[in-house]
Order: sequence, then C-alpha cells, then structure tokens
Amino acid sequence: MSKPEFVYTTYIKTTPEKLWHALTDREFSHKYWMECVLTSDWKVGSRMTMERHGELKNECVILESDPPRKLAYSWRSIFDPDMKKENPSRVTYILEAQGETVKLTVTHEGFVESSKTLPSISTGWPMVLASLKSILETGKPLVIDPATLASTETAHVKA
Amino acid sequence: MSKPDFVYVTYIETTPQKLWEALTSSAFTRQYFFNTDIVTDWKVGSKFAYVQNGKTNDEGEILEADPPKRLSYSFHSLMNETSIRETPSRVTFVLEPLGKVVRLTLTHDNFPPESVVLQPISNGWPKILSGLKSLLETGRSI
Repeated sequence: MSKPEFVYTTYIKTTPEKLWHALTDREFSHKYWMECVLTSDWKVGSRMTMERHGELKNECVILESDPPRKLAYSWRSIFDPDMKKENPSRVTYILEAQGETVKLTVTHEGFVESSKTLPSISTGWPMVLASLKSILETGKPLVIDPATLASTETAHVKA
Repeated sequence: MSKPDFVYVTYIETTPQKLWEALTSSAFTRQYFFNTDIVTDWKVGSKFAYVQNGKTNDEGEILEADPPKRLSYSFHSLMNETSIRETPSRVTFVLEPLGKVVRLTLTHDNFPPESVVLQPISNGWPKILSGLKSLLETGRSI
C-alpha cells in the first residue's frame, strides 16, 4: 500500500537549536531556500508565506510547533492554477539529536492521486535540504543555477 | 504497477570526477560508508564486494561503469539467511554537473515483493550519502 507522499532524511553536523533557527528564521532561510522568503511568527494557527522575488508561491498554516523537535505546517502551492485547487498537503519536520549530528526527517504528505504538487515538491526538497546541510556545515549555501531552480515549478510536465 | 524501490537525490558542491572517485575508491568509502571497503576493478561484468572489517556484507556484479556519469551494480545482501536467499537488487548512481554543484541520483530497485533488504537500505543510504556530501564539502564525514 504505497501512499502518494515524499519522505527525505538527511544528517547534518549541527545542533537541534541551530537547525530549528535555520528552518524558521526569515533572514537565514532566505540564504539557502531557493531565493524564497519565509514569513511567520511560527505559532500554531498562524499563517506562513513563501515568496520568491516578491511573488507568493506557497501558503501555509502552522499546525505544530515544538522547538527544537517538531514542526508541521499545511502547504498550498498557488503559483499554478491546478495546484491551487488541490487540498492543502502537510509538511512535518522531525529533528533528532544523534551525537554530533542531527537527523532531520521531512515528510510531505496528504496529496490527492495524480497531484501536480507532489512532483514539484519532490524536485524542490532535495535542493533545499542539500543547501541547508551545506550552509550549516560550511557556512555557505549551494549555488544552484536558475534553470535547475525553475525546474521545480514545471516538474509535473515531464512527470 | 508501482514497484518497491528507493530513490535519493542530493546536490554536492564538487566535480563529477571527485564524486566518482569518492564513490569508487576505498580510501573514500572507508571515511563515509561505515568503514567499508569497496572491492572491484569496476569493469562491466566484474565481481564487486562491500567489505567491512574483513567481512563481506554485500556482493554483486558491475552492470555499468561510465565515468564520471553513471555507475550501476547488482546488490546481494549477505546480512542474514533470508537476504542471502533473496534475488539481487540493483544500485544505480547518476552524476549530473549543474554549474558549481553535482546532482547525485541514487536509485536502488529491482527488489522482490516482501524484500527484507529494502528497509535496511532505505535507512542506510541517507546516512551514507549525508556523510559523502560532508566529506566532499568539508573534508570530514559526519
């Protein structure tokens, strides 16, 4: 019984507190998150917006916020008319300290069959999470070229 | 007809040549792959083994080797009697340069239904590839 969902685990040499900050701080996240700006007060029930170059891309609502262990928000992609019509999906972050590293598990679920959002986020998360790991371990995010970044918004076409 | 398989994509600040060496040389794998040596000559048809502290954990055969772009081998886990009876699965690495980074796509597929190998490799690969990325970007694995 496979469900339409996306799960990604990465191990980062950092602390849960620094990782939480990296996931939720507006200025810090802008450095590595594919040129996006994340804005929220991160309280349960609050809105969180993801904008790129001043354009609203994803609308979210905070569902769980338990720093520095667990964060969950609903997710609606609005840059595409079909995605905008889909019910919101759900993103959950679990942060687990393991010695000198933190195991970060991101689960993005709650997609309808033949969702157009799922191929988009499946392309985007590995880029975001690879750049997150780089900035926390080296101080610098990854430099990902604009064509590759743009591929996240058209991933459903080739899928 | 969806088959059970494991796919993991990561982006590493390195070159395809360095990433290829890190995937295929024991001097590197020992540092990020649970102290495991990789024993093979990387010629198509040659035998291949992951050896940890003198013990062979997995073995297989090189299916494709096109440096520094594509690498594939069959994967037969020797971790227990059930896995030894299981038909071999397949591991494929695809390396794509994208400006200053390389996109690495690992696909581990061809598992039989009810595989006992799929779950352990699904837990193992993210840790191994996280260590590989750290090693190439910072000089040290995690």
